[in-house]
Amino acid sequence: MTDDMSVLQAARSSASPTLRPRGLGGRDYVVISAFALVILTMPMWILTIGGYEALATKIVIWGLFALGFDIMLGFTGYLSFGHAAFFGTAAYATGLSLKHLTPNLLPALGISIVTAVLIGGLIGVLSLRRSGIYFSILSLAFAEMLHAAALSIFQQYTGGDNGLTGLPLPMLFGLQMQGIAVFYVAAVLLIIGFAVAWKIKRAPFGLMLRAIKENPLRLEYAGINIWAYKMAAFMISTVYAGIAGFLMVVYQPYVATQYVHWSTSGEVVIMSVIGGVGTLVGPILGAGFMLYFENVVQAIIGEQWRLVLGFVFVCVVIFLPGGFVALGHTIWHRLGHLVRSRRRNVSDMETDSETSGRSSARAGAYTSGEHDAC
Amino acid sequence: MPAKAILSVQGVSKSFGGLKALRNVNLTVEENSIHAIIGPNGAGKSTLLNILVGLIAADEGVILYDGSPLTGLSPYKIIQKGIARVFQTPQIFPALSLLENVAIAAFARRDGQFGIKMREALRPGHPVLEEAADILHHVGLAAYMSEKAQYLSRGDKRRLELALCLVSKPRLLLLDEPTAGMSRHDTNRTIDLLRALSRQGMTKIIIEHDMHVVFSLADRISVLAQGHVIAEGHPEAVRADARVQEAYLGGVHAQ
Repeated sequence: MTDDMSVLQAARSSASPTLRPRGLGGRDYVVISAFALVILTMPMWILTIGGYEALATKIVIWGLFALGFDIMLGFTGYLSFGHAAFFGTAAYATGLSLKHLTPNLLPALGISIVTAVLIGGLIGVLSLRRSGIYFSILSLAFAEMLHAAALSIFQQYTGGDNGLTGLPLPMLFGLQMQGIAVFYVAAVLLIIGFAVAWKIKRAPFGLMLRAIKENPLRLEYAGINIWAYKMAAFMISTVYAGIAGFLMVVYQPYVATQYVHWSTSGEVVIMSVIGGVGTLVGPILGAGFMLYFENVVQAIIGEQWRLVLGFVFVCVVIFLPGGFVALGHTIWHRLGHLVRSRRRNVSDMETDSETSGRSSARAGAYTSGEHDAC
Repeated sequence: MPAKAILSVQGVSKSFGGLKALRNVNLTVEENSIHAIIGPNGAGKSTLLNILVGLIAADEGVILYDGSPLTGLSPYKIIQKGIARVFQTPQIFPALSLLENVAIAAFARRDGQFGIKMREALRPGHPVLEEAADILHHVGLAAYMSEKAQYLSRGDKRRLELALCLVSKPRLLLLDEPTAGMSRHDTNRTIDLLRALSRQGMTKIIIEHDMHVVFSLADRISVLAQGHVIAEGHPEAVRADARVQEAYLGGVHAQ
């Protein structure tokens, strides 16, 4: 009884001002550094599995696109079928900037981000009022409208069906952007993108996005303006798509109409799902798998590659709902029983909440799954 | 001795198609009291609660909270004024841990309706997580704080939802059958907790079918039947009221 009366006091005293919320710690930097190392060495290790340098560049670009897409699908639970709209318009913006303004990359990057944010803001305001299938259909419809517009009323700027051609080779600090230089520009942007997504996931902001996916009603009745959080997540996702669209043009100085086509939106969905939605490495892994399949495996198995890819997709959705990352977790946990230090002891005998409560929060385990982090 | 009214419902009516769910309901809730709303199924109790938090809009009438109208505000704005609600079916975040569940509400109080604080990371030792852990400890769920909320029993989900509401330190707490699905032991524990909270300056409106809970908690009782308030007053007075006996307590006179 006396214990009950102290509920508010206890809560107040615990939030003592001496304890400051900490930012990223050692473990976070280890993960980000490891990720950076794997990405930066990709042009080397990809050769050993039958890939080539340009494939590495494409994987990095699509990985960035899929990572941003997953901030909506995986974190927030909103399936956008219109991400090609941001990818494509940013690509056109980059192309027009390179062609008519300057071959310098930096203005093109700025313009493409601003374009993506403007288009994303408009589509977000209009379609985020709905959720579930309605949101998906709205986003698809807006993207298709943009595709139609690019081929009709904006034909003189976009080059219509032929795409935007005749672009100069992009330059950065007097350096011509081709080959490995493009790879490193893209890789640096992907690593920054990964670090930002990692931070979002670890911050209260990421928790709010996961809460939207879990139970928007409860979140609203916790006093949260859900719409503002959804919109923020959507805009961040849009910026990722915009940067990826920009990089695509830097990689290949030409804008294909396919970039605003719904099939581009579809591809990024498949990448995320195959790799593992709601994770950070999943979408990048998915992008790698798809492009590897499309470019390397195709050369081996020939025409049937689409059929095989479809089969793989179906198998993943049915047997591995968490994608490749879930497969990794399963293997990790199975093997964990062989390693003494990683044996998890689940105490189902624990009935005395009074003694174990306080200590367990401070001891460390607080999330629903420690490995969910990446 | 009339205490200060924290909530006043004035002439609220609501119809769903041809069904009149509430007809000219008037209700005054005094600060720091426990106000129970009872009545048979379909009397309009949950509708009234839904109108209070802005889930549905009233056709007519005004709701004043602390002197200012709540009518027409978005739910999150109403909550940010210091109101919290426990739902009839427990509303929690199933795939998140208990600690995360409570931390969300704690962040909502600390940062308001929206705020991107990218400089902090959720890790053990974060003050908000510590605060959430204390509340969980308090409602007796501390042992499971890193488990996913979906694995809890129905009664425990209710307690988690209560913890989620308590961490936002509301001035007015709305409870829709807070002890449904709980054992007698847990029910009594919840009753004790709710009583203790009132003494610390938390007003409560409670909808409940369990008369044991109602009569051991309530300072005042309003009886709703067919959308009308048919009786209001102290528990003893309400228990003795003939109309209440007929409409709700089943016509059987007090044991």
